[in-house]
Parts: sequence; C-alpha cells; structure tokens
Amino acid sequence: MSNLVPAGGRSLAVTDDPAKKATVDYVTVMIDDQLFGIPVLQVQDVLAPQAITRIPLAPAEVAGSLNLRGRIVTAIDVRTRLGLPRRQSSERQMSVVVDMGGELYSLIVDGVGEVLTVQENAFERNLATLDPVWRKVSTGIYRLKEGLLVVLDVSRLLTLKGQEAA
Amino acid sequence: MDDLLGEFLTETSDSLSVLDIELVKLEQTPNDPELLGNIFRLVHTIKGTCGFLGLPRLESVAHAGENVLGKFRDGEVEVTAGAVTLILESLDTIKMILSGLEETEKEPEGDDADLIARLNAAAKGNIGGAAAPAPDPEPAAQADPEAAVEDDFDSIEVPVEEPAAEAPKPAGAEAPAVDDFQPEFAAPDSAPVIDLKIPGQANIEPVASGGAVALAGGQEVADASVHRESSIANQSIRVSVPLLENLMTMVSELVLTRNQLLQIMRSQKDSEFVTPLQRLNHVTSELQEGVMKTRMQPIGNAWAKLPRLIRDLSQDLDKKINLKMIGEDTELDRQVLELIKDPLTHMVRNSADHGIEQPHERLAAGKSEAGTVRLNAYHEGGHIHIEIADDGRGLPIEKISKRIVENGLATEAELAGLSDQQIQQFIFRAGFSTAEAVTNVSGRGVGMDVVRTNIEKIGGTVELKSTEGRGSTFLIKIPLTLAIVSALIVEAGGERFAIPQISVVELVKAGGTSEHVIDLINGTPVLRLRDRLMPLVSLPKLLNLQSSNEATDLLPKPVEGEAADAEAKSAKDKPKAAKGAETEVDAGAGDCFVVVAQVGAYAFGVIVDRVFDTEEIVVKPVAPILRDIEIFSGNTILGDGSVIMILDPNGIAAATGEVGLADSRETADAESRRSEDERVALLLFRSGAGAPKAVPLALVARLEDIDLEKIETSNGTMVIQYRGRLMPLIPFDGKFDLAAACQDAENQRRSVLVFADGDRSMGLIVDEIIDIVEQPISVELTGERSGVLGSAIIAGRATDVIDSGYYLTKANRDWFRTSSEPSTRTHQRRVLLVDDSPFFLNMITPILSVAGYSVTSVASADEAIALRDAGEDFDIIVSDIEMPGMDGFQFAEQVKGGDRWSNTPIVALSSRSSPLDLDRGRQAGFNDYVTKLDRDALLESLSQTLADVRGAA
Repeated sequence: MSNLVPAGGRSLAVTDDPAKKATVDYVTVMIDDQLFGIPVLQVQDVLAPQAITRIPLAPAEVAGSLNLRGRIVTAIDVRTRLGLPRRQSSERQMSVVVDMGGELYSLIVDGVGEVLTVQENAFERNLATLDPVWRKVSTGIYRLKEGLLVVLDVSRLLTLKGQEAA
Repeated sequence: MDDLLGEFLTETSDSLSVLDIELVKLEQTPNDPELLGNIFRLVHTIKGTCGFLGLPRLESVAHAGENVLGKFRDGEVEVTAGAVTLILESLDTIKMILSGLEETEKEPEGDDADLIARLNAAAKGNIGGAAAPAPDPEPAAQADPEAAVEDDFDSIEVPVEEPAAEAPKPAGAEAPAVDDFQPEFAAPDSAPVIDLKIPGQANIEPVASGGAVALAGGQEVADASVHRESSIANQSIRVSVPLLENLMTMVSELVLTRNQLLQIMRSQKDSEFVTPLQRLNHVTSELQEGVMKTRMQPIGNAWAKLPRLIRDLSQDLDKKINLKMIGEDTELDRQVLELIKDPLTHMVRNSADHGIEQPHERLAAGKSEAGTVRLNAYHEGGHIHIEIADDGRGLPIEKISKRIVENGLATEAELAGLSDQQIQQFIFRAGFSTAEAVTNVSGRGVGMDVVRTNIEKIGGTVELKSTEGRGSTFLIKIPLTLAIVSALIVEAGGERFAIPQISVVELVKAGGTSEHVIDLINGTPVLRLRDRLMPLVSLPKLLNLQSSNEATDLLPKPVEGEAADAEAKSAKDKPKAAKGAETEVDAGAGDCFVVVAQVGAYAFGVIVDRVFDTEEIVVKPVAPILRDIEIFSGNTILGDGSVIMILDPNGIAAATGEVGLADSRETADAESRRSEDERVALLLFRSGAGAPKAVPLALVARLEDIDLEKIETSNGTMVIQYRGRLMPLIPFDGKFDLAAACQDAENQRRSVLVFADGDRSMGLIVDEIIDIVEQPISVELTGERSGVLGSAIIAGRATDVIDSGYYLTKANRDWFRTSSEPSTRTHQRRVLLVDDSPFFLNMITPILSVAGYSVTSVASADEAIALRDAGEDFDIIVSDIEMPGMDGFQFAEQVKGGDRWSNTPIVALSSRSSPLDLDRGRQAGFNDYVTKLDRDALLESLSQTLADVRGAA
C-alpha cells in the first residue's frame, strides 16, 4: 500500500521512564473528572471538535477518522477505552493528537489543561487495586497539590483489545 | 557521507549493472567492437574515478579487469566464457568493496591478490610476446549508464525538456582520445545531486553538482560512433526520491484543495473566480499527471539483473538457456517496480533451475538443446501484465501430488478429485518445493508462496499455466500505480464510501420505478439482470450501519456501542434516505442502486442508498489498528476535506461468505469443494475386539436385526431363512460361536449387514452397528490381514476399512464365478476399471464383481493403454477422470482415437458432475458419465451402455 506521506522529521522521542528524570512535562487532560497526563513530547496538536468520519466494523474505541491538514488521523475515544460511560452529546470534548510509529492518533478527551511540570519524586507506581484496564494503560501516578495525575502510556492506550498479541 | 563519494557510488553501481548486461551480450557476440569499447570505457571510468578518490583496493581490481578487457578489445585475448566469468567475478568484488564503502565510507579490508593474479594471467595468457601493453586510449571519464535506480543512492531519473548545461562539442570525434584525464569535480556542496545527460555527438556527460557544473571538459570519446543503445533517451536528470515523494504529496494536497474550490464554485454560478479557477483546474491536472509520470519507470530496470542471472545459472547448471525480454519499455510505478523486482527474479531463477531441462533431456524430448525463458510485459486494462514463460519440463503433476500428500497439504482422496491445474496451484502453498535436491540456486521450499504473497500485497495476482513436458507460464497482473485510483463514491447508511472504479462493472437502478426488481429469496435479496440472477449484498447491513429485523446473517454481530451510535447518527442525519432505502429494499419496491462489482470471475451486486460521482482519490493505508477490517482497503481525503473509507470488493465478497472468488482463494475454495464431493458414506460397526470397522455404505444392501435362534446350520455354514430363501451368514468375528452365543439369553439378537445382488444375498454378522458417517477418507493400505483393506481415521478414531469382496467369496466360494454361468448371465462382461486411487479401485471392484462383471483393474491410464497394446479386449471401460499423468479425458480420446478399442464403450466415473464436466466428457468420447459412489447409477449405466452398444451392433 502506498504511503505517499513521509512520516516527516517530526517523529518525537518518547520520554524515558519518568522516574529517572528530575522533572517531567505533561499535557494534562481531563476525562470524567480525573486528571491525566500525556508526555508532552508525544503530543503533536490539540484540536477542537472536528468532523469525524465513522468507521463501520471498527473496534468500539475507534471513534472514526479525521483530516488533519491533509493527513488522516484515527480518532480514539479515551472514555470508551478506559471503560467509562459515553459522553453526552452536550458535553464538551477536545482532542490531543499523538504520534505513534509515524501514524497520527487523535485522543478524544473531555478537556485539555495546561502543561504541567512535575517532580519525579512525586511519582508512584500504579496501585494494585486499580482497575486492570487503567493499570494497563497508565505508567503511574503523580501526587500533586491539585490532586492525582494519572500518566497515560500512549502506546498501550493505542493497543486495543485483541491486538495485544500483535 | 561525502557528496563526492556518494555520487561515485551511485554512478558506479549504475555502471556495474550496465556492465553485467553488456558482458553477457559480449559473451554471445564476442567480436562486437562497439560493445567491447563500451565495456572497456565503463570499467576504465570506474578505475579512473577511484584513483582520484584514493581507493587503492578498488582501483587495483578495476585496473586488472580493465587490462583483460583491453586485450579483448585489441583482439589479443579471445573472449571466452571463462574469461567473461573472470571479469564478472572482478565486478562482483568491486560491488562488494562498494557496499563496504557505502556502509563505512572506507574500503573494506581484504586481499584481492588471487583475483588480480588470475586477471593478469588471463591478460597475458594468450599473448605471444606482446609485452608492451596496448596503448589505452582514454575515453570520456564520465560514462553514465541509463539503467538507473538499481543503486545505493536511491535516486530516479526523469527526462528533462532542455539540457541545463550546454554540451561541449567534442573536438575531433574520430580521433582517439588523448591525455590522461582525471575528472574534475566541483567542490561538494549541500545541494542535491543532479546528474545531467545531454545528447551530443559523443557520449559526454557533464556532472552538475548542485548547480555548479563541472564538466568533464575537453574529454573526448575514443569512438564517437559508440552510442550505447540505452543513451538514446538521454535527456535525464537525477533527482533524489524523497524530493519527488515530497513533490507528489504536495501535488496531492494541491489536487485536494483544487477540488475543494471547485465544489465551492458549483454553488456560486456567477463568480469572477470561474475563469481563473478553470485554469487552475487544468494546470493542476496537468501538474498531477506530470508528477505521476516521474514515478513511472520502464520495467526493464527490474530486469537489468536477469541476463547476468541466467548466464550464471546456465554455467552453474550446465544448461543452455536463452533469455528473451519483450516489452522492456513498459512503464510502471517505481514503487510497484521495487516491490516486484524480487518476486520476478525468483520466478526467473525458478524457471531456469526447475523448468529448463538439461540439454540431453531436451534433445531426448525432441526439443532444441537450448531452453528459453521469455519475459513479456505489456499494459492491459489499467494493469501491467508480466509473463514469465519457459519451454522446459513443466510442472510434474505426479511429483507435486506426492509432495502434497507427504507434506500433509491434502489427502490422496482429495487430490483424486482435483484437476491438474488445481494440483499445480499447490506450488503457491507455504513450505512446498519439488526440487529433488536443494541446489544452491533454488529448492529451499520457501519461494512461490512468498512470491504470491508479495504480489498480492500490491494488489496483483499471479496465475499459473503449465503443461507437463511443454513448459510453464506465470502471468502476473499488477496495478499500474498504487497511489491514485479512480473511485465511485456511494452512500450507505448515511456514510460515504469509495469503491475502486476498476472493480465496478456497472450501476443498476433497481426498485419500483425501474425495470429491474430486487427479489427476495428467504430474505436474501437477488437481482434479475439480463436473464441472470445476481447475488446481492446490502452495504448498510454489511457495515452494520442500520439495525435490521430480518438480518440475514450476512455479518457477525456489531459491536454494541458502535451499532447504537451508527443507528443514532444515521437516524439523525439521514432519517429519510437511510431508513427509506432499507425499507424499499426489503419491500422489493422503491428505488435504490446496485453497484455491480466483479471479483475474479464472480460478479455480485452491492446495494447502496445513493451514488455520487467518481473521483480520483489518493489511496492512503488505514491506521494499523484498523488493518484487520478486511472490508476496507484504505482511506482517503475527498475534495471536500472529509475522510472516507475505501471499500475492498475482495473483502466484501469474503465477508459475505463468498470466499474463493479472488484468484488467490481459488485453490482453497476448490479444495473445500473437493472434500465435499469426496465424502464417502461409511457404515461403522463393531465386532470383536479392536478398532471399529467401516464399510462403504454403497456396498451394503440392507441392515437386518436377526434373532440368533433363527440361525440354522447347513453344510457347515450358518444360514438363515430370509425372504423365502436361504441366506448364508458369515460372522465377521471369525471366533464367533453360535452355540455359545445362543446360551447367552441376554443377548439373542445380532446385527447383520446384508450384501445383495439380484436374487443372491449374504449376511455379515457383527456385534453392533455404531453409526453412519459421511466424511472424506484416506485409506492407508495394509496388506496384512485378509478381509481388511486398510485403516483410516474415521470420526476421529482409527478404523479398519473392511474388504467386502473377501466376505462375499467366503460366503459363497463361487459367488463371482457362478454369476458367469449361462443360467444367470448369458455372457460375462469384461470390464476394465481405471482409477488411480487404490481406495476406489478396491471399493468399485467388488460392486462390479458382485454385479457379475469380470473386472480387471489398473491404476493408471497408461497401464490401460498398455493392456490394449498387449492385445487385451474388454466389453466396457470404466475410467476415473482425475488421474495423474494421462487424465480421463485424454485417455478417452486415446481410446476412441486408436483402432482396437475404438468401439469399446467407455464410462466416466468422477466426483465432478457439473454440466460442464458432462459436456467435456461427451466430447472426449465418454459414452456416459457417472458420479463416483453411486452404486446403482454405475450399474445402471453399465448395463444401459452395453445394451446400447449391442443394439447398435
């Protein structure tokens, strides 16, 4: 299959294990009143709601695909991915575009906040009592003044059910 | 990497690929001075340049090679295969050094003293006293071959309208070249490398390094008449591929933007933008076309390596092989070209290694000593067709069959029902190789399956035709380009989809106001189209875009949320169109559209709600997480900026259960069909200890349950009064003791299998009848125990398949003989039974014997013909169709064509019984055509055919 669009020079380095650095930057997003963090270097864009083409027969987590400046981006509904209830159409939504292996994915979340710089010593591994899905898609949790920040592991987030073996 | 070095590498690898070809040509026409001059010049250029760049190892090898070539040219050394091999060897060494250079920018360590010594010896070898080296005229330093792309630099040549730099005129074209020239290179800079070729009287090729033109100034070509054929189309420029790809992307974007503008303009009739926009439209179209052309390359580029390959192979294998290449100019997308290069090479290698026979074998087979491998490329219907044909031995069916069974790819019974063509298709299976020995050339068992996978990956197909003894032909069909396709945009369930135009045959408007009506058969829609029934697939249903009460199980259940979402959205967006269309289709009234698509030989209709126009789309692959949805082949961005999924007709056909439509699936489909046909109904019973026993149900006339008390003993055998007669009974278990069994008050009944023929019958006493199963079986023959044909896995258990004939004779020693007595049969008919499968032979022989025929059975048509030639005569012949070697049709033709048996009726016995098969059978000369395992039909047919013949006589 043709891939006319080169991945471009913007392939972004995935941040190392957050625990090894003194401070780490995260783009904070809000999903179902929980604060999440996505490593800032993995984020390409933040989008307002867009026209999305639904993809029949696709996994439930796949909301559809959209056109981002000539590139086709697959939209993933993070709520569905995390097993949370569907968003009411009246509720607002935002998207964070991330790069994974040269492909762009748009993560649909409830809202996008600021970029937070957090101290690595505030990092903790996932608690065993967390929901298995959540444990799988997050690397750990930061204790912050404002509350707890769950760090999303983008590559695991984008590995949908049934594809884990691949 | 140093620009200078990079350029050198690109150029040299180009030169080397030309050299490969030229040297092979030289071997065939050793006295062509033009060719020699050209080869010499190329090698010399390499040598000169590496001297300049300070690459001593490379230079020494090139120098030694050049020496030999010099002697060739001066006629001092004869051009022999050995000498050419030596030169080719030195080229290989050069290539090896070059690849080392590319990786490390340094010459790899190594010693070429041996090679150089041999080259020097060759140079001296036949020269008597000519000590002084021949004066080497210095040709132009820069000789740039046409055959591009086969390089390390990944560049592409595109034609240029005008020469960018003026070519210096050679001063004296005829004069032998003069001075030792070291080419001057401009100081390297960061600009992309461009290499211009400008036509001139002489073959001078200036090198532009990022615009700074450094000409090989003053260089003269030794012989101006030396024009390489390849340099005719010589206005070309070297551009790096990423640059072109980038350009392509930009143009794609431009096209999309243009489309967007055009769509806006459609709604605004009177605008001052109309005229400029029209011009923009045209220019963009032309630009797009032009850029597309830059991607096109002659297929000859992919073939460049082949002459050398064939030459080396023929040396290694001691065969004489000619390579013919037709249609080298046929152009196709560079990307496609890269992808088929390896499969092509592999197939040519296969043809030469497996296909072409040794010269003595060829002579023995009445062919010319030298085999031919022919490559032919041409355009047809938006596709490139590439044929790879050889006139070798073809694919040996028998060997393949054997290998198939050995490798467990199919059972013997399954194979018996396959045509030769189908058996040949097995070479595309993984892990299949028929080469008797693993040669260093091929036969490693990875191969054709990889070839096929690679070709299918780019949307191509590969077909195989082979006649044993006459050669094989592979036909590869691949799309011209993978990038842009024309697609029909349709709507289903409120969503738009693209269907590649190439697979759309026609559009039919169906429903109330149209002449075409969609009928429902048990809820499945079909379309009557020009006296044909067309299977229909409802796209909305297929894609789960609407909930439907009478879902016809076209698809697995939708993912809950998705379906709900889909429903909600379609209801919201297009309540009328979507819901309406659905109702209309169901009701068989109202309007909808049917897109008639063709996949392979199979046409089917796709019901859609609406049809828009066609659009040129740039196919982009879907995201990895969506790759397993096989209904989509990609996605694209439409003119209005929206993303749309591209439907894959293959996938649709597959999703509706119609697998095996595409060529690629034909074999698998054929197999499943075969195994359906080859099912044998078997009666399973138990008797005594050990494995369950089985007997083909076709042989059993009745099953009876008898009371042991009714069994009488007469003349030492057990008999029972059965239908007014005495029927002999044979216990299956030889140790069966009637007296003892009668003591057992609990169990006074026994099951009996009754074998009957006319008014004669016998019963086989067994302990218990277990089941009747229908399944394909493969009997492994064991000749060890009398009464048992062999073992097979039936219903998951090892089971003995019994030989009913054995028990028939046991019951009545003259069972077969008596039937020949004039009292019962006026004349015993002699039947010749031809079937390659031992299982069927063993099964049918008793049937026929029981029916009073005298049966002679042979396992192949050849054996049958041998019997004819030995003077045997038969009243009737029963022959299988699918047999290795000579098949049933050929056999019938032979029988009817010969004189001795030409009046002998012949009945075909086959598991294939389509009208087509019947026709073919009649044409071949079969008097009748009977399906295997139909006992009554066979007997009926035999007596009928014999009666007819007798009546006619």
